[in-house]
Amino acid sequence: MKGLAPLFLGIFGTFAFSWVGLTLVPNWQIGHLNPQSDEEGTDIYPMPQSGMVRWGARVYAANGCVYCHSEQVRADYAGADIERKWGDRRSAPRDYIFERPVFLGKMRMGQDLANIGARAPAEQESPSPGGGGNPGGSPTGPAQSPSSPTAQPKAQGAQSPGASAAPQQQPATSPATSPAASPTSPASKPAAIARASTRIASPSPAVAAVAASPGAPPSAGPPWPEQTAGLPPMYSAAWHHVHLYSPRSINFDSNMPSYRFLYQARRISDVRSSDALQLTGSDAPPEGWEIIPTYDAKCLVAYMMALNQSHPLKEVKSAGSAPAVSPAASPSAAPGGQPPPK
Amino acid sequence: MNPAGIPLKEPSVSAAAGDTEQLERALIDASTRVPVLIFYTSAMAWLILGTLLAGFVSFKLHTPDLLSDISFLTWGRVRPAHMNVMVYGWASMAGIGTAIWLMARLCRTVLRYPLLLVAGAAFWNLGVLLGLGGILLGDSTGYQWLEFPSYAAIILFVAYTLVASWAVLMFRFRRGEQIYISQWYLLGAFLWFPWLYAAGQLMLFVVPVQGVLQAAVGWWYANNLLFLWFGAIGLGTAYYMIPKVIGRPVYSYHLASIGFWSYALFSSWTGMQRLVDGPFPAWMVTASIAATILTLIPVATVGLNHHMTMQGYFPLMRYSPTLRFTVFGAMSYTVFSLVGVVISLRSVAGYVNFTEASVAYSHLGLYAFFTMVIFGSMYYIVPRLIGREWRYGSLIKLHFWASAYGIGLMTLMLLAGGFLQGASMENPSLAFSESVESVLPYLRGRSLAGILLTVSHFIFAYHFGLMLFGLGRKSTVPTFLNPVEAEGAEAHI
Repeated sequence: MKGLAPLFLGIFGTFAFSWVGLTLVPNWQIGHLNPQSDEEGTDIYPMPQSGMVRWGARVYAANGCVYCHSEQVRADYAGADIERKWGDRRSAPRDYIFERPVFLGKMRMGQDLANIGARAPAEQESPSPGGGGNPGGSPTGPAQSPSSPTAQPKAQGAQSPGASAAPQQQPATSPATSPAASPTSPASKPAAIARASTRIASPSPAVAAVAASPGAPPSAGPPWPEQTAGLPPMYSAAWHHVHLYSPRSINFDSNMPSYRFLYQARRISDVRSSDALQLTGSDAPPEGWEIIPTYDAKCLVAYMMALNQSHPLKEVKSAGSAPAVSPAASPSAAPGGQPPPK
Repeated sequence: MNPAGIPLKEPSVSAAAGDTEQLERALIDASTRVPVLIFYTSAMAWLILGTLLAGFVSFKLHTPDLLSDISFLTWGRVRPAHMNVMVYGWASMAGIGTAIWLMARLCRTVLRYPLLLVAGAAFWNLGVLLGLGGILLGDSTGYQWLEFPSYAAIILFVAYTLVASWAVLMFRFRRGEQIYISQWYLLGAFLWFPWLYAAGQLMLFVVPVQGVLQAAVGWWYANNLLFLWFGAIGLGTAYYMIPKVIGRPVYSYHLASIGFWSYALFSSWTGMQRLVDGPFPAWMVTASIAATILTLIPVATVGLNHHMTMQGYFPLMRYSPTLRFTVFGAMSYTVFSLVGVVISLRSVAGYVNFTEASVAYSHLGLYAFFTMVIFGSMYYIVPRLIGREWRYGSLIKLHFWASAYGIGLMTLMLLAGGFLQGASMENPSLAFSESVESVLPYLRGRSLAGILLTVSHFIFAYHFGLMLFGLGRKSTVPTFLNPVEAEGAEAHI
């Protein structure tokens, strides 16, 4: 080849083509999305993140959670994500407009987390009565979604706490208690988000346990020892803390490293801190000590609790919406093996 | 000219190269000595560090409690530390070292402004060091291959600017009309990288794009880094080393030209195929899948060209370390591209999208192809800089086999494990943990492969250290892998 000009032009031209084509044009197409709202301008989704959630995203990035966990639900024709109850519709660009960085992820050594916050028991949002107040959850709950006590009664399924005594590794044993309300007809808009958080059928016994509890008076003792063998309800903030501290105490098969450096041991001075982790067995701290989450850990859990794509989007066919609710609500339709908590 | 009968002549220059030309070449080599050795030595140090980090990553993945209580040794920090040390510390620095030497040789001019390069190397090392520290201390940005925090990224960019401006200056002083194929690739790499890096940094950190587009920019960056930076340097090096060692011009300039331009055009459009079925407009993913399939054109032309050049000369791989490594790398380029096409097809990607298979793909590109080519070029270049020959042929052989078996085993393990993992994951009647369980044995196998690679890297580092301290053989005969038989082989060569 002779002459530099064609070489230079070609080198620049080919790359400019790709740069414009794969980054600038998409930016022009989907780079300036706004949250959606209904005609009256209410029921806005998605909402900007709180400060703790933002810091939690930093902690998530710093500790490389993204190398094992994705945060995207593929459409039903493209994968088994929806069947695994990781979401009830596919993810769309609008779900992520306030996320920075975006952790779409490329690896699933652990579960998809796109809707991990939606799988939390509804009582997260109403601290004290629901099952004795979820200590770890208290910092995060109010930050997320407009809490609504009306979310509670929706879970009417298995009332028996006995069912939930089954080990959490086999959540399938207790199919979910899922919201009876149809998500497609949001009559009361402000409650929509809170409702949405229960709509994804969390196959956890925890929901059952919590569902049973509103009737019971708040007890002063450790919240869930009777029902879930010493563990907080699955996917609640307190559960996340125990899981981060000691993954294999919750799920024996878990391949997740523990993140004990996000927690600190402290001597109990007067009364046990309300944040203290409810640890059992060999993980439990010595007598007179307690394990409490650092600020980073609280933010990380707040971030996870905020991951919730269950709100319907206009541009996505809510494949899950209409059909998914009924199977989830009826116990018989639940598939045999549900993903165990990781 | 060369007692062993392996002619060492410029591919594009007539066989009747005189003494002046040899002298000129020796002068050029001498002028590149300091900067190239600085880049190589730094790269070797990063290679050893990156290998140790890789061992951590691999073992911790199937033994999650190993050292997990120390914040800076948690898996999620060691893994990006390993990737970035390998990408920016080892591969980039070694690649730049080779590129400098090739550039000087092909421009047929002594290296000017060596201080620019020395400063570039110093800044580059500083950038990687700061970035590594930042990642381990919890400052990672969370974007694959761009984890270095901004203070490290800026220093890297400064370092890069120094190197690239040197390369352009060098081009300005070149002699001779003809621009050899390797120079197209090298010039391309030197011009693409700053644009790519700046675009990635700007669009992710300075004026961040919205939402999912960050992921799109991130993968566009990562794939283009693999193809247009490492791929271009690797192919350019292979286009030089293969004809050079066997002493025969490249089979077809025409094919090379087609290969280069189709490579630049198509491979730069890849990247989005790794986000298949993600929350993006479908056309983006489809365009990248199409581009990935179209990269078969440059693969076929480059592969054919190398094969036809080598035709009849394959037995030389028995003797020449450079040729053996380079040909292995060039063949891996074909394998890498084919695997890339297969795992980007929608029907396959549905299974392997979120599995270890994409790790296998990255290792194929960055190790089996790029690193092996660079190893080959180092075996060729270092003796010419130091004036000593490699001391032990047996160590080179060990290095080659440990590397080749190591990366082969690793790729097989990760691909097989990835497919199994994906198959279990896509079967909703199996618990999710089954998919992790199914890949664990393969991850243990990968650790085994990692041990082989560690051995090979330590051997190479030791051998390189001997060379650096002037302990190589004083000889005019290059070190061969096997003794060149007196009669038969020479006749064949």
